[in-house]
Amino acid sequence: MTKKAVKTVTMFLSIIMFISVLAACGSNNNGNSGNTATNAPKETEGTTNEGTEKPGIDTSKKVELQFYMLGDAPKDIASIQEQVNKMALEDLNATVKFNYTSWTDWDQKYKLLLGSGQQVDLIFTAEWTQYQSYAKKGAFQPLDKILPVAAPTLNAYVPADMWEAVKIDGQIFTVPATYKEYVTNGFVWREDLREKYNLPKPVDVATFEQYLDGIKKNEPTMTPLSMNSDVKTNLMDVYKSIAHTPIGALPYGIEVDYKTPSDVTSYWGSDVQKEDLVTMKRWQDNGYMVKNVLAVKDTLQDQVTSGRAAALLGDNPTRFNDMVIKIQATHPDWKLGYHPFPLTNGIATPVHPIHNGFAIPASSKNAERALAFYEKMVTDKRYNLLTQYGVEGKNYEIKDGYYSMLGDSNSNGFSREGMNGWAWRNPEFMLFDKNYDGVKAIFDELDKIQTPDKFTGFAEDYTAYQAERAALEQVEKQYLFPLNAGLVKNVDDGLATFMEKANQAGLEKIQAEYTKQWLAYVEAQGIK
Amino acid sequence: MLKKNGLLKELVTNRILFLMLLPALIFFLINSYVPMVGVYYAFTRFDFNTSLFNSQFVGLDNFKFLWQSGVLARLTLNTIGYNIVFILLGNVLAIALAILLSELRLQWFKKLTQSIMFLPYFVSFVILSVIVYNIFNYESGFLNSTLKSFGMESVDVYNTPWVWIFLIIIFYLWKNIGYSMVIYLASITGISEEYYEAAKIDGANIFQRIWYITVPMLKTTFVMLLLFALGSIMKGQFDLFYQLIGNNGVLYNTTDILDTYVYRSLKVTFDIGMSTAAGLYQSLFGFVLIMTVNYIIKKINDEYALF
Repeated sequence: MTKKAVKTVTMFLSIIMFISVLAACGSNNNGNSGNTATNAPKETEGTTNEGTEKPGIDTSKKVELQFYMLGDAPKDIASIQEQVNKMALEDLNATVKFNYTSWTDWDQKYKLLLGSGQQVDLIFTAEWTQYQSYAKKGAFQPLDKILPVAAPTLNAYVPADMWEAVKIDGQIFTVPATYKEYVTNGFVWREDLREKYNLPKPVDVATFEQYLDGIKKNEPTMTPLSMNSDVKTNLMDVYKSIAHTPIGALPYGIEVDYKTPSDVTSYWGSDVQKEDLVTMKRWQDNGYMVKNVLAVKDTLQDQVTSGRAAALLGDNPTRFNDMVIKIQATHPDWKLGYHPFPLTNGIATPVHPIHNGFAIPASSKNAERALAFYEKMVTDKRYNLLTQYGVEGKNYEIKDGYYSMLGDSNSNGFSREGMNGWAWRNPEFMLFDKNYDGVKAIFDELDKIQTPDKFTGFAEDYTAYQAERAALEQVEKQYLFPLNAGLVKNVDDGLATFMEKANQAGLEKIQAEYTKQWLAYVEAQGIK
Repeated sequence: MLKKNGLLKELVTNRILFLMLLPALIFFLINSYVPMVGVYYAFTRFDFNTSLFNSQFVGLDNFKFLWQSGVLARLTLNTIGYNIVFILLGNVLAIALAILLSELRLQWFKKLTQSIMFLPYFVSFVILSVIVYNIFNYESGFLNSTLKSFGMESVDVYNTPWVWIFLIIIFYLWKNIGYSMVIYLASITGISEEYYEAAKIDGANIFQRIWYITVPMLKTTFVMLLLFALGSIMKGQFDLFYQLIGNNGVLYNTTDILDTYVYRSLKVTFDIGMSTAAGLYQSLFGFVLIMTVNYIIKKINDEYALF
């Protein structure tokens, strides 16, 4: 190569280099500010809608609503959308576009949908999508004023106490689902193995441990307890909810007992926690969990349905039922047992209205129309059945009052609740699979001992300590997760190290501020 | 005045060339420069209801979480340390392998080896993490099953932090070496045969030919790839670390890098200001680093510097 050629190549590469360095600087923000205008609604002038049923709102302009749901869209979504649009155009002079985030990094996408200023008219909310925090930070539009105008039927249909329950700082930000269900946990275990080895039926921590021990001794190749790397949610939160009686899965190691909501203590660093961690270590040492549990990424349910593990510490009735159905198909000789925690600890809280809902983000320009459309989804049988079960005769049929899918999940382009329509379920129109009777039986049992949810309505505002919060999250993963998984040889030392690091990250500040907010909430709501 | 004329004249005489350059300029302007306005997010408290420049200015508050837990130094060190090893070891090995391959005369064997070495590049990190788990897990992993069948004791790899320094480097090399090797192989092919023939006539043996002809000729490529890699020294390889380590806090002291740390922090705390702050820190650090290295290279040999 001549010198000149070298120089040319160098120049060329240096330009690319320079540009890519700058591009790298810029790329962090693409997601934040890049796509502001991409999904602006196509506001074409439409003809004035004559004979409209909604005198309350102005539907003279045709709009396209952007509807966002989590998870994956069913295969037939395009044709369903077409049919919905046909009706919506007539009723409301609006069309809708159903968008799905897919489950991959949904939390990041959700954040960007709300934060980028992109046009979103309806979006799913739940306590696990941080509805309370987002509402408090102003991500959604308050609905109190537009509800009676744009959606009077819906306004009357949802009971007043539910509207009350979803209020954040005195305002409604989401339309709650009215279907009552329980997502409380319960032990799940292989009943056939329990019978075979004559083990006790798990009803509390002690009997559950005996069961695990029996499996370990009799089935050496099987892992007794199904667990994965999310030991915080899947192991400790669940364990605490059966071993103690917490009001909910509170963050930052704060503990509030169900019976005494205004007594706030620190669970982290307490003797109770030490005892729990010793139990976890025993489970680990005895081989009830796999040693590399922190590296396991499989779902808990898969480990049981595939036969690798024998029991789940806790799962909700619906998911338990799904496992039963799955096992019936693959291993008809296996049996699963279930014991709901509420039967032991007496805390049977039906889902809080916040658990499933739809909100109108601050960026929406068509709040009224969006709400009117959502009213149709919930209260209009045509819309509701179509978006929950698909087309009758093509996707499903009704047999003896039960829902029955046509074909199987591969050939059918719209399975039951294929659009993840948990939020717009309407108990009056709901169709159930025959297999669901098992869940209903559990629900009936829990209905008898039903107690109110005292925790979910609380909206935490972490603005004051968000740096500490992010730092604490790290400390937790690094020092508490190994303790939870029972991997630290000396529990006392491990716990001391964790507490030291947590305090360094600002634990005290977080706990103090959280406690203050919580007590104010308890006081304001009169929770006892 | 004269200078201005010069520029204008330049624009006029080479207008076709400048016109051809225009699309690229616009592309980068829109995609890279305009979004840089968003850097300002790093200094404001994000608010859903006001625009960027109306948000409250909070100074360096958003950067606070980076040093709040006192791990920033360790993270920066880990990130740079791993990347330096990746860059140096990766390039040196790639050069060595490229030279070995280029000296092979058996064409089909050469092609086959090259393809086999290139293949891991296409394996996704998700799959890699599954492979690694199946090799090293305590109860049923390949390694421990083998050890047990020889009557030896099982090793608990997933709870032994120091091992992972080597594992991560090994898997990085396994995955990427084929790719950089091909680049070097291409520049070796570009070296004129005449040099070698002349050297042969002068009586140079194969090692001398490699050392005095091939290696010096690869120097430019090496320096360029080096500078390329340095720009992203503060980022890079998120997938590798995230997939292999994931939630396993036991290993964080030796395996946590800035990217994974930031990702985990902000996965729970939904804050655009803080994410931007973290990105800005990485970009600035990378920028300073590449300017420094480029300056040093320029001092040593002006020819090799990027700009």
